Amino acid sequence: MSTENLLIPLMIIIPITCALFLNLLHEKSRVVKIISVIVALLLPTIPLLANYGIQYFGGYAPLAQNPTIATGLPTFITGTALNIFHPAITYVFGSAQKLMITILGFVALFAIFISLYEVKKPSGVYIYLILMGVASVMAMLLSDDIFNLYVFFEIAALTQVGIVLVSKVKNNYETALKYLIVGSIASPMLLLGIALLLGVTGNVNITDIVYSIKTGLVDPHSPVLLMACSLIVFGWLYAAGLPPFHTIKSAMYSKALPTGAAVLQAFSVFTFVALGVIIIRIFSYLHFAEIFILGISLIAMVLGITMAITQTDFKRLIAFLAVGELGYIGVGFGLGTVFGITAGLFQAVNEAVITALLFIGFGTIMYKTKETELKKLGGMLVETPKSALLVLLAGLAMAGVPPFNAFQSKLMLVQSSLNSGLPEVAIIMVLLSIVTFMTFMRAFHTIYLRPKPADLVIENENIPKVTIVAMVCLLIICLVFGLYPQLATNYLQGLAMGIA
Amino acid sequence: MIEYVFMITTILGAIITLLQRDLLKAAILTGIPGASLALLYQYLQAPDVALTQAIVGSAIVPVFFALAVYRTRRVEE
Amino acid sequence: MIMDTQLASLLTAGALIVIGIFGTLFLDNLIKKVISLAFIGDGANLFLIAMGYKAGGIVYIFLPGMSMSEFSQNAAYPLPFALVLTSIVIGASTMAVMLGLIIVLNKKYGSLSASKILGDN
Repeated sequence: MSTENLLIPLMIIIPITCALFLNLLHEKSRVVKIISVIVALLLPTIPLLANYGIQYFGGYAPLAQNPTIATGLPTFITGTALNIFHPAITYVFGSAQKLMITILGFVALFAIFISLYEVKKPSGVYIYLILMGVASVMAMLLSDDIFNLYVFFEIAALTQVGIVLVSKVKNNYETALKYLIVGSIASPMLLLGIALLLGVTGNVNITDIVYSIKTGLVDPHSPVLLMACSLIVFGWLYAAGLPPFHTIKSAMYSKALPTGAAVLQAFSVFTFVALGVIIIRIFSYLHFAEIFILGISLIAMVLGITMAITQTDFKRLIAFLAVGELGYIGVGFGLGTVFGITAGLFQAVNEAVITALLFIGFGTIMYKTKETELKKLGGMLVETPKSALLVLLAGLAMAGVPPFNAFQSKLMLVQSSLNSGLPEVAIIMVLLSIVTFMTFMRAFHTIYLRPKPADLVIENENIPKVTIVAMVCLLIICLVFGLYPQLATNYLQGLAMGIA
Repeated sequence: MIEYVFMITTILGAIITLLQRDLLKAAILTGIPGASLALLYQYLQAPDVALTQAIVGSAIVPVFFALAVYRTRRVEE
Repeated sequence: MIMDTQLASLLTAGALIVIGIFGTLFLDNLIKKVISLAFIGDGANLFLIAMGYKAGGIVYIFLPGMSMSEFSQNAAYPLPFALVLTSIVIGASTMAVMLGLIIVLNKKYGSLSASKILGDN
């Protein structure tokens, strides 16, 4: 049992150690390239190979599973709940975690490959930041320990700022500072929420907190727990970029490089899932919490997608669409049924892939023209026919057109909201999908189809093959999940049944 | 009894720091709440945290702020 | 005494957080904003420490000569303290990044005013 489970901590340890090592190799671009390629390939393969299991750091399993220590202890320890509490930091690797971490690994793999081949001299610092971020988001998905999650939450926030800082996009420093200032308010609030949970239950392990609340060891309706819930939800809103943080989050996406934006949105999606799952697990007995999640998700959808309509910069437009699409995941979580949560998790997986594809696809425009203003662009179809086709397919996928994956997950979301007796939510979701499609088509028409403006300078560099191959691979993932949704939902259902 | 004194100095130190117009003074004054917190942690039965806070809160953080002020501008506009 | 040490420390933590939030929202100077953010972090740390405090207890270090039962009944709860150690370091590093950014932005704008630098995007 122990040898197979070794792969679970390695998922986090390998990217972090290699990231720290890459940071030292500043000038040696060959070595940087080799190490980055190896680590990038390892990112999705380790979770694919790893067996399901639970990792207790330091080997401190609960006393109930550890008879050698448990013998000889007094009964006030072995006879009470202390016997089953988790003394160690615990990582749980189940089927849902496997799917989500693999998808995150694939997005990071393609982002790293593209960034290695699009620039002449690959920068070790950029790869370092991507790897650190990926490792911390993976740890957030795995961790069953709420303080461990907080530590990685902070690391993820810092790496997101770092990814924006190295991008050399105009005004990136201002946006990064703004994001850090907002984050420095939000993360102590999350810490306070954790402190209150710790004060009430005496535990930071989520399974134990849930056990204490469900079995009545602590009063579930104590106002302290309500306060903890609101503080943790505040941290969640910040990390995921839900309103009121949607403007700053979309600004972060638009100030990053295309590959950076692709990983940044994957970070937000999976942070959303990690914290959202915890909130539902601990506070699902509070009916208000679910209604709040549903409400804030609807607001995120409406605000994100309507603000996307008015944007003049295509990166900002995709960024707002990405924030709006996050709302769909939240709707699934807010419904609170097994089917709804499965649909939400499925939508999260799909969205991470599709938005990454869109960011990378529109990134090719920036590669050719160094321009992001919609009104200065046009006629790119002649220049980049292959990537134009791929971007069009990605846009169709995002809007939920069959046979792509978002169609399946959005269909599931609509069905589950109808099952829960909320047809209004279903109608809003369908309408916003149409608006998403229209917004996307407007951007697509302006960039690719209308005549080329006279003053547009197109550089005579071909798009690297790696970019096209990466986009095709992401599109294949979309198609596979769209044609065989059971492949994903079977993996995700276990987690959904555990928390609903 | 003495822990109440540290609590009061923490809060007063924080307020006084934010009321300064001279940024260098404000940067150095951040050491007062930092050091009081370190002493307070000692009285709250956390000696290891007190050690860390004494170094970080009363030495490193004020020096960081002072360096930042030195590299930018001293008077608030 | 009017209130016990734990309650008083929790209130101090609350006061620090409130001062920090007020400072962040209403002070225009970026360095002062960062100082206020540091106070919010300090407040959260003090809150955690106060959670682990035990009135009349002893420090959670097992010294030779102590009996096991005496230690387990009187020692403070060490888990929050271990968490705060991490949190202090994280707070300091985040702050260092922010100050570095402020130095760069001051070179670009020639000012430390938040409304001038962060206002327009």
